[in-house]
Amino acid sequence: MEIIIPKTSTVMGALLRADYTTLWRNRRASFMVLIIPMIIVFSWKNLVATAGGAFVLSNSITLGLVAIGLMGYTNSIARDRDKGIFQRLRVSPLPLWTIMVSRLLVQLSLILLLTIIVFIAGFQLDHITMSITGYVLAFLSSIVGGAVYLGLGQAIVGRIQNPETVNSTARLIYFAFIIVGMFGELGVLGDKFKNVVDWTPYGTVKNILAASLEPVRWDNHSTLSLLLTIGYAILFTTMGIKWFKWSTK
Amino acid sequence: MDSTHQSNILQVDNLNVFYGNFQAVNNVSFYVKQGEIFGLLGPNGAGKTSAFSAIEGLIKQKSGSIMVAGYDTLKQPLQARAAMGVQLQANSFQPELNISEILRLYASIYGLNLTNKMLNALLREINLYDSEDKKFGQLSGGQQQRISLAITTIHDPKLVLLDEPTSGLDPQSRRKLWSHIEAIREKGNAVVLTTHSMEEAEAVCDRISIIDHGHIIATGMPQSLIDKHRNDPEVIAVSRRGKITLEDVFIALTGEAIRP
Repeated sequence: MEIIIPKTSTVMGALLRADYTTLWRNRRASFMVLIIPMIIVFSWKNLVATAGGAFVLSNSITLGLVAIGLMGYTNSIARDRDKGIFQRLRVSPLPLWTIMVSRLLVQLSLILLLTIIVFIAGFQLDHITMSITGYVLAFLSSIVGGAVYLGLGQAIVGRIQNPETVNSTARLIYFAFIIVGMFGELGVLGDKFKNVVDWTPYGTVKNILAASLEPVRWDNHSTLSLLLTIGYAILFTTMGIKWFKWSTK
Repeated sequence: MDSTHQSNILQVDNLNVFYGNFQAVNNVSFYVKQGEIFGLLGPNGAGKTSAFSAIEGLIKQKSGSIMVAGYDTLKQPLQARAAMGVQLQANSFQPELNISEILRLYASIYGLNLTNKMLNALLREINLYDSEDKKFGQLSGGQQQRISLAITTIHDPKLVLLDEPTSGLDPQSRRKLWSHIEAIREKGNAVVLTTHSMEEAEAVCDRISIIDHGHIIATGMPQSLIDKHRNDPEVIAVSRRGKITLEDVFIALTGEAIRP
């Protein structure tokens, strides 16, 4: 029998089908990832008048992105690596990058879903409306922001082998992002802290999302935040790729 | 070393595998011919799985060459992997997918279009027609093994690598698996397996190599090895009930000490 090397598009199609099926069968877990952004949209209703709709939506989306990157992606990679699922795929005739690209495309879809749901919830619950340009730019910003947390998740799963330790570490960092990011952003922890938070991965992602939603407010601070966000994404992704091992053995 | 390299489905030459400073495989060479079942035997930590991993492309050898169906595993990894079917020691598939989805996924990865008719035929062949909607984790050990072997051979590979395929199976499932392995040979394809069961090696392997501390210390047909070492004092000393078996030869060559 002749040797068949499958087309990359065929392989990608098969992997995507499997990964989307997995996502669908784990829809309860995905739903949990979307819960906290919804709670923020709902509970920060009173802030819309004072801080603005962009503030509420950007914080909500940022926390959703943190949850997708740190809770969803990281844990699924750690689990599949521990179970040997990647090793099984690696002995097949597929380019290795297709395994990760397929996983990332699924997460990208989840990011887009999160953004749409937050926009709809913002409109329905808080009557927040933005310009079409604002919504489109916010979509793009959520992808750039999502890359930061997917990269951070990749770095965690690269550095830590045990899936339970990965899970607890990701939860801890997620919790830190919620507490430090949200409360720091609101100024509850003082002005100095607020300034520090502004340049953390939480702050920069939140800044570019807020500025994207209201493009007329885009300024130097927003541009610097965008550059830092891209820098964080590159840094975390590089660390994640460098440290990542396909097997825990 | 066999001089007719071209007829060999697997040709391993001077293979050296390291983990940091530890050398797991030391200058190992062997070949496997078309239609041959070859066993790689050794105690725990002898270097079997490391040699397998290098052949499968899971780890990169420090030196030496591996040719699968004429393809160099380092220079033409996709071709080499397409020519082989691999069953890993711990086989696992996405737990959210059911059996038919897993089969379709791997069929596509190997470039096959698995129609419903083909899928049903495959499921009937492995006696899992009623289980197509079950998840891999819901199957018994024997059923999981059958699925795993079906995926390993779904593309009719020239070389099938089985890492401890009968580990944890009951005698009935083990016998069934031996029949499957022999059926692969009947089709003219080659099988390389590792096992801790000397009974299995004697029953199914045409030729074996015994590997220890990363070195191959003996190669030959099971019966030839028994005959060759039958009168060795070390073999006689470890033999039980007076009959010399492959296990006696194996223990005499690799030592009685329990490996970690």
